[in-house]
Amino acid sequence: MNRFALAYREQQQLFLWDKTYLTGILCKVGGGATLLAQFLVQFFYRPTVALIMTLCLLGLLSALLWLSVRRGKEDWPQLPFCLIPAILWGASLSDHALHFDALVAALMAAGFLAVYARIERRRLLWGSLLTVILYALAGPAALLFALCAWILDLFQLGAWGWKSILFALVAFFCGGMALWTLAVPTWAAALTPVFYYDLDTSMPAAHLVAWLSVPVAVLLSAASRKVFRSQRHRNLIVCIVTVALALLSWAPADHFRKQLEKRESLQSYECEHYVAQEDWDGLLRACKKGTWTPGAANYLNMALSYKGRLCEELLKYDQRGAQSLLFLTQEKSMDVHVAQIMYAMGNMAAAQDVSFNLLASTVGYCPEMLKINAKIDLMRGAYDVADKYLSLLEKSPHYRAWARRYKRFLWDDAAVEADPELGPGRRSFPSEDGFALFEAPLTELDRVMEVRPDHPGAMQYSLAFRLLAKDLEGLTRFVDRYYGMESLRTVPVPVQEALIFYSDYSRNFEGVEPVSLEWCLSHGVTEETVRRFAAFQQESIRTGGAAPKGSQGTYWYYLLYKQI
Amino acid sequence: MRKILPLVAVICLLLSCQRGIEVSDQIDALPPVEPDYAGVTVPVNIAPLNFSYLGTEPCALQVGGQTIRGRKGLFRFSRKQWKRLMARPEFELTVLARKEGKWVAYKPFKIFVSQDRIDPYISYRLIPPGYQGWQKMGLYQRDLESYRQTPIVTNDLTGGNCMNCHTYLNGDPSKMVFHARATFGGTMLIDGGAIEKLNTKTDSTMSALVYPYWHPSGDYIAFSVNKTFQSFYNHGSDRIEVFDKASDVVVYNVHTRQIAWSPLTRDEGRFETFPTFSPDGKWLYFCSAEAVPEMPKDYKQARYGIYRIAFHAEDMSFGDQLECIYDAPAEGFSASFPRISPDGRYLCFTRHGYGNFSIWHQDSDLWMVDLETRAVWPLAEANSERSESFHTWSGNGRWLVFNSRRGDGLYTRVYFTHIDADGRASKAFLLPQDDPVPYYKRLLFSYNLPAFMTGPVPMPERRIVSEIRRSQGVDVQVKD
Repeated sequence: MNRFALAYREQQQLFLWDKTYLTGILCKVGGGATLLAQFLVQFFYRPTVALIMTLCLLGLLSALLWLSVRRGKEDWPQLPFCLIPAILWGASLSDHALHFDALVAALMAAGFLAVYARIERRRLLWGSLLTVILYALAGPAALLFALCAWILDLFQLGAWGWKSILFALVAFFCGGMALWTLAVPTWAAALTPVFYYDLDTSMPAAHLVAWLSVPVAVLLSAASRKVFRSQRHRNLIVCIVTVALALLSWAPADHFRKQLEKRESLQSYECEHYVAQEDWDGLLRACKKGTWTPGAANYLNMALSYKGRLCEELLKYDQRGAQSLLFLTQEKSMDVHVAQIMYAMGNMAAAQDVSFNLLASTVGYCPEMLKINAKIDLMRGAYDVADKYLSLLEKSPHYRAWARRYKRFLWDDAAVEADPELGPGRRSFPSEDGFALFEAPLTELDRVMEVRPDHPGAMQYSLAFRLLAKDLEGLTRFVDRYYGMESLRTVPVPVQEALIFYSDYSRNFEGVEPVSLEWCLSHGVTEETVRRFAAFQQESIRTGGAAPKGSQGTYWYYLLYKQI
Repeated sequence: MRKILPLVAVICLLLSCQRGIEVSDQIDALPPVEPDYAGVTVPVNIAPLNFSYLGTEPCALQVGGQTIRGRKGLFRFSRKQWKRLMARPEFELTVLARKEGKWVAYKPFKIFVSQDRIDPYISYRLIPPGYQGWQKMGLYQRDLESYRQTPIVTNDLTGGNCMNCHTYLNGDPSKMVFHARATFGGTMLIDGGAIEKLNTKTDSTMSALVYPYWHPSGDYIAFSVNKTFQSFYNHGSDRIEVFDKASDVVVYNVHTRQIAWSPLTRDEGRFETFPTFSPDGKWLYFCSAEAVPEMPKDYKQARYGIYRIAFHAEDMSFGDQLECIYDAPAEGFSASFPRISPDGRYLCFTRHGYGNFSIWHQDSDLWMVDLETRAVWPLAEANSERSESFHTWSGNGRWLVFNSRRGDGLYTRVYFTHIDADGRASKAFLLPQDDPVPYYKRLLFSYNLPAFMTGPVPMPERRIVSEIRRSQGVDVQVKD
């Protein structure tokens, strides 16, 4: 289990203390499990808390199963069997398309089973009643309960235990009713964990295995009871069985977890967490881990930009062209990180284009996307819409303080314009008609620069795009236009290196408008950079074109020796 | 004990009776209330128009000789009170607020009651207004005489797919057509107790069938076929532009499952869209614009006028010439979404600066054409500074239901306006809700394409879902 993958679940929902919201969920089949799951997941904004809570719930699941099957102190050897579901469920939860409701529902089933195991009279009646109640509260988990109760009764009551198959029939009936009333679309959703899975994707079979591990654990526990009692070397056998079971269940669980991690990219969950916390140092640390991916590079550069160090420190890290700053997939308007990077670079229209499409998830609303939309609508002066989003966030305990802080900007243009974040944002919408995410990111960024040359994010990204794209002519023109303005009072060292290189190049090649050394010196290039460039040139000649020692980390190295 | 109980009951009753309110002062301004129902005309059979006083102090409402205390600002009419009010041609409402220990009265306002009944149901799609991402959406129906909303079909049962363009034959809920997209895609045609799924993309047409409109005979449905794209504006009050790179108009025969068109509805040099039949079925109206060289670069150049062509239902053929009904481009505008009143006299359309997808244009207003005189005028009383679009006529031709973004500028809501015999509109009123202010504020869905219906859709949702999920669909053919 990865704590950041668990924490990402918090970004897929918004728990609201609101009567309509609470009753709306409770009125649905499985609403009890959903409500409890959403209540718990709201605390997952701290990954460690998410992990501890999930481990506790998995432990509780094992404990409740064990409580259901044990009959006395001598039954402790059955405990290892009850750990199997916890291991498999732990792996399944790496797939965030499987809603957290599934674990809560299984837990409720185990709780009901523990209660049922202690009922001594009218077991058929109580078992049927518990099945119906559980179906209403937790959905298909009722079938899990029914199967487990039947298995328990088979071992405890012998031939009479067959009667408990009635519970499974009751669960099927409840599933049929759910289907009939259109609470679920298919039998699979009515009776299996498909109920707890995102509706537009097909569920991996591993979740079904985790699901079925609950009755299997009960079966093995109940069956082993008699076996262990009659053994002389009970403790030894239990140890062997425990190890064997752990290996048996761990291997497929780990395999499945790895498969999911490949698909879901755990690093992006970690990055998302730090973005949500606005912890730019944490984001930098997270991005440095693992192998280079465009997504991780995008997050890393965004962190540098928020720290105001994008251009200065750009080349301290592995950069592979402009995609290191912004990697756009075909589904560019459906990617959370695109919204955040666009916001960082001051392209508010593009940020809103993406975040607007990502407001809702299958479970609820995405808090980060709501926050971005609320801020951009404050910038736009669309106060009614901003109020709508802020009011929603205000009903969620974790986001209440944030929402109230931003609510003071509603219908107060002066406050918005005076705010260091919203004010510049308001002035960053382009003056020309056009569409967001329609042209190359740099072209759109240039439009932002035309109206907002003082936007620190836009300035840093404009320079960085040109640096990484090796567009020296464009960079020279850009510096010529903006040098001296508030956001470009001093020229970052990599930019100086690019300018001095281009100056040298332009003076030695025909057909290129020459850029003089004086121009460079009057546009932020220091004598120190000029001296270092001369040394680099001499060293290059000496090495016969190979990269001079110690040149890594300079723009000259990136320009001449880095393939993009 | 038996003697005490009635006494306790009487005391409780007396205590619960409202004390009289003495008004100490008047405020010469209309009260801050939401929704704004001041001066609206409402049908006699509409559900109570509950509304809220937006101030924080205690409030009350004097209406029809009665006083209603506000509960957290909400004035909620009982069925009985509302029925009594609806029996009058008009009634006056005075909002009172308790300020600094004294009751003050705001300037009263009136609500006018029309004896022209409104169709008892409307249907609409509820969808988040993002143009690519949605998770939940659905087609819903709403009883206008109460607050009851029920689903016709929702996408949580059909793999989260998109569904759109629900249309009925003259408001008859047993004759319905809508599109389901993506995994279980197809055009769903409900005809009485039968339902079928159609695969409407053919080799001869550029897309599956899009905007539908039923022929009054029920034998045909006009559709457009469109190559539609959408983009997000980088500034300004409009958010999204929906534009066609090409489009045509075709007619579908529900019996032979064939489509046909005229060269005049499929002109390569023009974009044709939003078809609608005249109530007598003899004319096919649609919007048409000169094709622009490059979309979306030239999106502001696409301006649509309203045209019509004769349609012969007996052999599914077309006339040989187009007639321009309203040349919007000549006036520097674009017209879309033509809808003709049931008596055939008026044609209501939306007018805006350019393009065809008026709902995303804040300058879009409702306009009317008198089809006898060809006079054109705006429905000024019903319009606002923000977008109005997607209108439908009631069965008696006295009401229009339409979408407007006038509330918060982004989320569309349903409004109604009364149309008098001269084609003039009254001030529009918002679809009533039991507690409208919190309801609309927390609703992050837009109402889309409201359409009047004579009753609820009789086809059970489970049958619709079953057909969407299970049917492979019947292929539509092109008529030879």
